[in-house]
Amino acid sequence: MIKLNELTKVYRTDELESTALNAISFEIKKGEFVSIMGPSGCGKSTLLNILGMLDKPESGSYEFIGNEVAHLKEKGRSDVRKKNIGFIFQNFNLIDELTVFENIELPLLYNKVPPSERKQRVNELMEQIGIAHRASHFPQQLSGGQQQRVAVARALITKPPLILADEPTGNLDSSHGNEVMELICDLHEAGTTIVMVTHSSHDASYSDRIINLLDGQIVSEKKNKLVKAAI
Amino acid sequence: MFKNYIKVAFRSLNKNRTYAIINILGLALGLAVTILVFMFIKNETSYEKHWDGYERVYRTGIKASVMGQTMDAPVSPSPMAHTFRTEFTDVETATRIHTIKQEIMVRYEQTKVYIQKAVQADSTFFKVFDYEFVHGDPKTALIGENSIVLTEETAKKIFGDANPIGKIVKYDNREDFIVKAVVKEPKGHSHFQFDMFMSQNTVRNVWMSNGQYTYVKLKEGVDATTFLTKMRGNFMKKIEPDVEQFLGTTVAELFKGESYYEYQIMPLKDIHLHSKKEWEIQQNGNIMYIYVFIGIALLVILIAGINFMNLSTARAGKRAKEVGVRKVSGASKKMLVTQFLTESVIQSFIALFLAFILVELFLPGFNNILETELYLFNSHIGETVIFSLVVTLFYGLFAGSYPAFFLSSFQPITVLKGDITKTNGGALLRKILVITQFTASTVLIIGMIIIFKQISFLHNKDIGFKGDQVIVVPIQTDHMAKNFRNYKNIFLKNSNVLSATRASFYPGDTPNQNMYMLEGSKDQLPLWNMDVDYDFFKTLDIKMLDGRKFDREKESDSLPYFILNETAVKNLNIQNAVGRKMSKNQGSSDNFNYGNIIGVVKDFHIEGFNYEIRPMILTISNDLWFASFKIANKDMNATIDFLEAEWGKLESSHPFRYTFLDKKFGKLLRQQENFGTIFLFLTILAIIISAMGLYGLASYTAAQRTKEIGIRKVLGASVSEVMRMLTKDFIKLVFVANIFAWPITYLLAKNWLSNFSYQIDMPILPYVFSTLLALLIAVITVSFQAYQAAVSDPVEALKYE
Repeated sequence: MIKLNELTKVYRTDELESTALNAISFEIKKGEFVSIMGPSGCGKSTLLNILGMLDKPESGSYEFIGNEVAHLKEKGRSDVRKKNIGFIFQNFNLIDELTVFENIELPLLYNKVPPSERKQRVNELMEQIGIAHRASHFPQQLSGGQQQRVAVARALITKPPLILADEPTGNLDSSHGNEVMELICDLHEAGTTIVMVTHSSHDASYSDRIINLLDGQIVSEKKNKLVKAAI
Repeated sequence: MFKNYIKVAFRSLNKNRTYAIINILGLALGLAVTILVFMFIKNETSYEKHWDGYERVYRTGIKASVMGQTMDAPVSPSPMAHTFRTEFTDVETATRIHTIKQEIMVRYEQTKVYIQKAVQADSTFFKVFDYEFVHGDPKTALIGENSIVLTEETAKKIFGDANPIGKIVKYDNREDFIVKAVVKEPKGHSHFQFDMFMSQNTVRNVWMSNGQYTYVKLKEGVDATTFLTKMRGNFMKKIEPDVEQFLGTTVAELFKGESYYEYQIMPLKDIHLHSKKEWEIQQNGNIMYIYVFIGIALLVILIAGINFMNLSTARAGKRAKEVGVRKVSGASKKMLVTQFLTESVIQSFIALFLAFILVELFLPGFNNILETELYLFNSHIGETVIFSLVVTLFYGLFAGSYPAFFLSSFQPITVLKGDITKTNGGALLRKILVITQFTASTVLIIGMIIIFKQISFLHNKDIGFKGDQVIVVPIQTDHMAKNFRNYKNIFLKNSNVLSATRASFYPGDTPNQNMYMLEGSKDQLPLWNMDVDYDFFKTLDIKMLDGRKFDREKESDSLPYFILNETAVKNLNIQNAVGRKMSKNQGSSDNFNYGNIIGVVKDFHIEGFNYEIRPMILTISNDLWFASFKIANKDMNATIDFLEAEWGKLESSHPFRYTFLDKKFGKLLRQQENFGTIFLFLTILAIIISAMGLYGLASYTAAQRTKEIGIRKVLGASVSEVMRMLTKDFIKLVFVANIFAWPITYLLAKNWLSNFSYQIDMPILPYVFSTLLALLIAVITVSFQAYQAAVSDPVEALKYE
């Protein structure tokens, strides 16, 4: 699904130039669950942003479902993104002025799905995720765990083949965090490819593979099936 | 999709009520001002457009300069209209009118009605001005001697509901007139308003005497410029015999050098706003006020729009996360721009609804000040609504465009981590907008002060006479005019009546002009005539500069005696005018009746301030139609009652009407005063809107710097130091605004002042005062927010992050 080759990202200001990603290369197969770990400033969020086509690399190649997307313009990236990628953020990033239903519905609106189909899909997903009883509530009225479940639903509503999660349990206590990780695992089992950035070894243990970054470079990669099995 | 945008727009407004109120109220005020100005301009530019074929109708006039004296008046000689009809093939029709300045008494059986606005008109009048006839025939209504046409209202006063056609009325106890027709009031506004039309058929074949107003209606397709050339060629030949007879010279001789005598035409539709000549039928509007009001409306709406842009971009951080999420969810930039523009248009339309309510509230006061009769729900309501909708839509799109593009350009990765809340994007533009806003407000403040200084200057100017205890009473009958000098003692019996006099005109009127020459000189000089009686100077307390006043003991009735004003003596260019002999040109070269110049009087403003003082000559006469009485300061009402009672015994056919002379004079300043009042109102509005915007910005800035304030306080900053930190940037901006405002105001003010014959020197104090006032407003507005931020608990500020 994903193939990076010699991907580099450099941030420049008037005085400074810093290399966030330094010619990294790896592949992610369809249906894999990969965690990306590393200390603060190692480049993991930058990597996730490039994978999600929210940012462009300086150089190198990024193949997504067989198509080179590294140097697409914003419109092209937006088109690919909205059909294929769902995002889960650490701080949920729900729109306060929209209800739970409306927040989940948003990607369908931008994909021009007709109203009746939107209603049906959102209701089904809310039932699945277990937040249907809060459909008309606003984010401020929900707990952290509930907000993150709404965010997960929003990420899933367009049935994207790829989910990118940036510290999805970072703002949650352990029990809510586990709930969210269970949800993500269910998605994985259903065949969705998942790439997750995390500081938490516990959360990383849910994934198939862990990639460790340091100073913009991959320092190690290890498969995680045995660890998961043990838990 | 739009449903989503609308939902979010209303929820967002509800969530941020303070900013929503500031935005919407500011917009509403700006829109209300725009709508009021639109209604006013619509009204002012609608004059004459209800007449059929108005675009082909022109009023004639004369612009002349003869021997250094100028005339610019819409008057014409008696034979002009007839000449148009008989000698010009380009003319469809033409008419002339002669206005009657005095009040007329019309009597039918026992009913007496007093008509203030009567006019004598040719039989072709209703061909040019197509009044709607209730009774009678426009083609024949003014044919024949002593025909009269009444307006519906006048007919009702005289005849009630009865049909007045064919009935005979008595005009001023002198003549009988037959009522030939009744007309409705015209549907629109005109530069004249008449209650009664009397036929005039006699044509006096004198081309250099101009007592008529002539209107010519050209045929379709006739070019006005070509017509004017033909007209001038024809009429300059017509005046030749009069020039030879009355001036003893030829046209070629008279108009060589700098003298000229130019016939003019003015389109009928331009009279109300563009004609500021002498002898206008009634006071016209002024195109300058239209331009100024448009300018102010634009300024006010600009200020309100700047508020919107500023507050929206300043608060962009609050919407940044939403922008990032929507982009991540698949929104394109175009979709986001559409969303934010929809929000600003929604706000604009909410403001429009409020604006209509404000217009209804403001209209009575507006009408009162400008002496108009504007109503929102009138025949122009459709146009007003369409105009308002278009302006609102444009406004919503324009004011919302920058914030929309600014917000929709946020990159998701920057905003989703929460970094955007610290962004200072758009800061430079915000500063420019605040400077623009305060420049506009300061221009208005300085302008307002200069306007009021100019008006005050005119009010307090030495007018050369004392009018505060003098009442002016028009004389209505020949009997009173002939015998007034004998009746004076009756009025003077009351010790509170200090003096009584008469004159040929009073403030607001224009004197007549005749040619005079000094004995021993061949030069003829036009001088403006004022006829008075022996007590004129005493009653009005006018000072002599040389010689003496008229004295009934010293003057004989057979010889003329003259008093000149200062300006006349200057124009004659003579030393020691007193003792010299002078004669009026009677019309033939050997008919001069020389009389003595017995005195020189200090210049006095009898015509108001729109014209410089003319060279005047005063003579004694008994044929005078304006009486005036100087009354003591105490028991004024009782004294006026006494005068009314005695007057009633002597002139019972007409009611006693009086005006205080100083009020009559003060009325001449009314147009400027009204303008000044509206200007003040709009300036205050502009300041309120600017202050509201600054308040919003200041509160946003304080919120944005909460963490910084908390840290500074922990490190020891005092409340005043924090307040100073928060206010100083805004104060700098207001100061910069004043640097721009001064030269702009100077140019505009100089231009406006040049419209006055008597004007103040450009004062410096309003500029300084306005700068201080603008700074004070800014300091007060910003300090309130700054103080709240400065006294907040640092712990709360640091927890914020």
